[in-house]
Amino acid sequence: MAKVKCAWFDFASCEGCQIELTNYGEPFVELLEHVEPVEFREAMSEKTTEPIDVAFIEGSFTREADRRRLEEIRERAGVVVAYGACAASGGVNALKNHTDDYAEEVYGEDAKRPHLDSQKALPISAAIKVDYEIPGCPMDKAEFIRVVEQLVHGTSKVYIPSYPVCVECKRRETVCRYDDGDHCLGPISLAGCGAPCPADGIPCEACRGMVANPNEAAMELVLKENGNLPERWAKDKSRMFTANHRGDA
Amino acid sequence: MTCTCNDNNESIFLPHVADIIDAQMITSTEKHFKLKLQSGERFDYEPGQIVEAGLFGYGEVPLGLASSPTNGESFDLVVRVLGKVTKALGDLNAGDTMTIRGPLGNGFPVDEFKGEDVLIVAGGIGLCPVRSMIEYILHHRADFGKFTLFFGAKTPHDLLFEEDLEAWRCDSCMHYMDTVDTPDAAWKGNVGVITTLFEKTTEITPATKVIICGPPIMYKFVIRELDMIGVPRSNIFVDLERRMKCGVGKCGHCQINDKYVCMDGPVFRYSEIETLEEAI
Amino acid sequence: MKSYFLSDQNLSAFVEGLMSKYPVIAPVAKRSRFVFDKLVDVSELRLDYDTTILPPKKVFFPAKQDLIHFNKDGFTSAIDPQEQVLLGAHPHDIKGIAMSDIFYSDREYDNNYMANRKATIIIGSSVQNHYKHAFFGTMNADRGLTGHDAFMTKIEGGYAVDAVTEKGESLVALGAFEDATEAQVAAATEVNRKAEEDCPEKLNGTAAEIREKVRNSFDSPVWDEFAEKCFSCGSCNIVCCTCYCFDVQDEWNVDGASGSRFRLWDACLTTEFSEVTSPGGSENFREDRGERYRHRFMRKAAYLNEQLGGPACTGCGRCSGACTADIANPATVINKILEQ
Repeated sequence: MAKVKCAWFDFASCEGCQIELTNYGEPFVELLEHVEPVEFREAMSEKTTEPIDVAFIEGSFTREADRRRLEEIRERAGVVVAYGACAASGGVNALKNHTDDYAEEVYGEDAKRPHLDSQKALPISAAIKVDYEIPGCPMDKAEFIRVVEQLVHGTSKVYIPSYPVCVECKRRETVCRYDDGDHCLGPISLAGCGAPCPADGIPCEACRGMVANPNEAAMELVLKENGNLPERWAKDKSRMFTANHRGDA
Repeated sequence: MTCTCNDNNESIFLPHVADIIDAQMITSTEKHFKLKLQSGERFDYEPGQIVEAGLFGYGEVPLGLASSPTNGESFDLVVRVLGKVTKALGDLNAGDTMTIRGPLGNGFPVDEFKGEDVLIVAGGIGLCPVRSMIEYILHHRADFGKFTLFFGAKTPHDLLFEEDLEAWRCDSCMHYMDTVDTPDAAWKGNVGVITTLFEKTTEITPATKVIICGPPIMYKFVIRELDMIGVPRSNIFVDLERRMKCGVGKCGHCQINDKYVCMDGPVFRYSEIETLEEAI
Repeated sequence: MKSYFLSDQNLSAFVEGLMSKYPVIAPVAKRSRFVFDKLVDVSELRLDYDTTILPPKKVFFPAKQDLIHFNKDGFTSAIDPQEQVLLGAHPHDIKGIAMSDIFYSDREYDNNYMANRKATIIIGSSVQNHYKHAFFGTMNADRGLTGHDAFMTKIEGGYAVDAVTEKGESLVALGAFEDATEAQVAAATEVNRKAEEDCPEKLNGTAAEIREKVRNSFDSPVWDEFAEKCFSCGSCNIVCCTCYCFDVQDEWNVDGASGSRFRLWDACLTTEFSEVTSPGGSENFREDRGERYRHRFMRKAAYLNEQLGGPACTGCGRCSGACTADIANPATVINKILEQ
C-alpha cells in the first residue's frame, strides 16, 4: 500500500495541536509507516504545492484574506480534516464574536492596521468543504490517530460520539466536579476525549464544542445553583470554546 | 479468515464468514450482494429474518435477508451505503468476504399465509426484506391465493431490483403495481404516495393477509387504508427497522416497550403491537 | 448456610488471606466518594462506605469490554474469565447483580458477561452508612438475596458472617472464624432490618402498583415537566446497577492490521441511542428529551418490572446523586406518579 501523502496547515491558532501530535511519540512514529508528511511547519521545513491525499487544517477562519489560501488547499487535497477546536468550531478565537470593539480593546490605536485585520472567528467549514472535524483544544491525540487509521483504511465515515462528557466521566468513575463543590460544563459538552480533565480535578470547559441540542438554560441554572458561579459567569461560561455553538451566536 | 473460538465459552458475538459471490450497485446508493457461507454449510432461515452483516474494523449493521431461503445455496443482502459500516461494506466486491451473524429474530409466519390472498406493501428500501417473502410466494405459487405487490419509491431512480420489477410487471401469477412520489420525463406509471395505489385495485378484501415494510412514516397511512377496507389488524404484519448493536436482545437499542425488534421482530403482527407506544 | 463470627481484629488477616489467593475488588475511597477497586493494601478497605460511584457490575462487565480480537488472518473471542473476589457488595447491589444475571442469561446466553460473573466470588456486607439518596428499604425490599457466596454484617466487636454457598464456606479457612452465637445472628438480622428502615428516602407503592401507574402515565405531562431540566447526559444510566444497554464499536490498532470489537456502556437518555441512519441524516425514535426521560422510567418501573416481578431498581440512589439537574430521583418521580 502506497503511503498516504499528508500536509499540515495552520490558520488563526497557537499551533498547539501540531505540537500535541509531535509530543505523541511512538504511536505517531508508527503512524509514519502509513503516512508521509509533505508539509508540517512545527516539525519540518519542506513545503509543497503538489496534490496531497489528506490536508490537516488547524486554526480558525477569521480573515477574509485567508479564504483564497483555504480554497487552494481544498483544490489540491483529496480529503480535508479540520482538527482542533479553532478549526472545528472557531474555538477560543470566537470568544470575541459577541463584541464589536475587540480590535480596539486589544490593539488600541493600531487596530486599523491592515495586518491586524480580524473578523468573526469561524470554523474552517465556513470557507471550504471539510470532510472530517476532530474537535478539542488541543485535539485528542488518540482520536487523531484513530481518524487517520480509518482514512488509511479508506473509510469514508468516522465515528465520533455525539453524547456529552458526563458519559465518559461516569464510565471511568471520575468523581463529579459538582460532588467536589466545583462547577463543570460536562453536561452540555461533546465527549470523545475520554474526559481527562475532570479526572484530574479540572472542570470541563467544552473545548470539543457542545452536543447537539444542549440544554443551555439548565446549564446556566446548574452552574449558578450547584456550581455557585455568579449570574454573569454562569451566563458567559460557555463562551470560552463554544461561542459559535451557543443559542445566541 | 477463520475463527478460533473457545468452545467452553461460546460467544454470541462471533460471526460466520461469508464469501461474496456477486456484488452489484442497483441504484446510486444500494449494493446487492450474493453470499455463501465460507464453511460450505447451507445458511438456513425464514423469509423476513435478519442478519448482522459486518466487516472487522468497521462494525456490523442489521439487514433483512433479501432472498428466499428456497433460492438455492446462496443468500442475498442489500446494503444502503450511508454510514461508516455500510460505506465499508459497499466497497466490497465479488471475491471479498464479510461476516454474518444470524439468522436473527422472527420472520413472516409463512404457514399462516398459505391458502390466503396476500398483499405486500413495500416502500423504498423496504422492498429488500420483503423480497424474501415475494420470492418464496413465487416459488410456491400454488400454495397461496391472489398475490398483490405495491411498491413505492421516491423517484424512478430509486426503484430497486429493476430486473425483478420488469419480470413481476409481466408475471400473470401476481398483480404488481408501483408508484413514484416524483416522476421524471420517462416515467409513464403511477405518481403519488403508495396509498394512492389502493384506489386502483379492488383485489384487496378484508380476508387479505398484508405485509408492510417501508419508511416509518408509511405504516400509519397504509394501515388507515386497510382499516377502511376492513382488514383485521391481526391479519396485518409489519416489518420494522431499528438500530441494533447486538441482534440478540441485550444492547437495548431496538427496544419498543418490552419487545426487542431483533428477537421478537422484525416482523410483528400489528394487533400485538398496536397499543405499544413508539412502535409505529 | 452456616453462620460465623469474625472479630474486628481478625478482619485484616482474613482479607489478606483472600488477597493472597485471589484479586480482591472492594470499596476504597476516591476523593469525596468511594469506588470498587482492586485492593493493593488491606488498609484501603472501606466497608463503612455509603455507596460507590459505579455499581459492582463493572467487575464482570467493565464499561469498555472487548468482545472480539481480529487481525488480517482471523478473529477470536475475547472471553477470558479470571477468578476474583468481589468483597463488600451491599445487599441492594447484590440484588442488582442478580437482576443483571437475568438480563444477560435470559434467552440468548451472554458469556462475555456470564463467564466473568461465574468466575467471581461475591462476599456481601451490611450497610454501615447510608448514601443520602438511598431508598432500598422501600424498593424491592422483599426480594430475596441470591447470587452471593457469603455475607458479612457489622455487629458489636466484629462481623457476623453467613457462608451461603460451598465456595463461601471454603473461604472460612482463610480467617480466624468462630461459630456465631444465637445472639450474634439475631444482632445481624436486626442490623440489616434497621439499615432498611433508616433509608433517608422512601418510595410508596407495591411493585404491581408501580407497574400499573407508571405504565398508564405514558401520556402524562409529568415527563416533560421533569425533563425540562434534563441534559440528556446519560449519567443516570451509566451509574445504574440494572442498566445493561451497550454500544458496539470496532477499533484498529495503530498497526492498521489488527484491532478489536468492543462494547461500551450506553445510555438511552442520549440522543444517539435511538437514532437510525437514514438518507436525510438520521431518524430518531425518541427525538425529544422528554421521551427519552420517560423511556428510562418506563423500562425500569413498567417493562422490566414484568420480567423481574418488581421494578428494575434497587433503591441504591446512585442516579439521584449523579444527576446534576436533580431530576433523576426515582423515589421523587415515582411517588409523584403514584399520587396522580
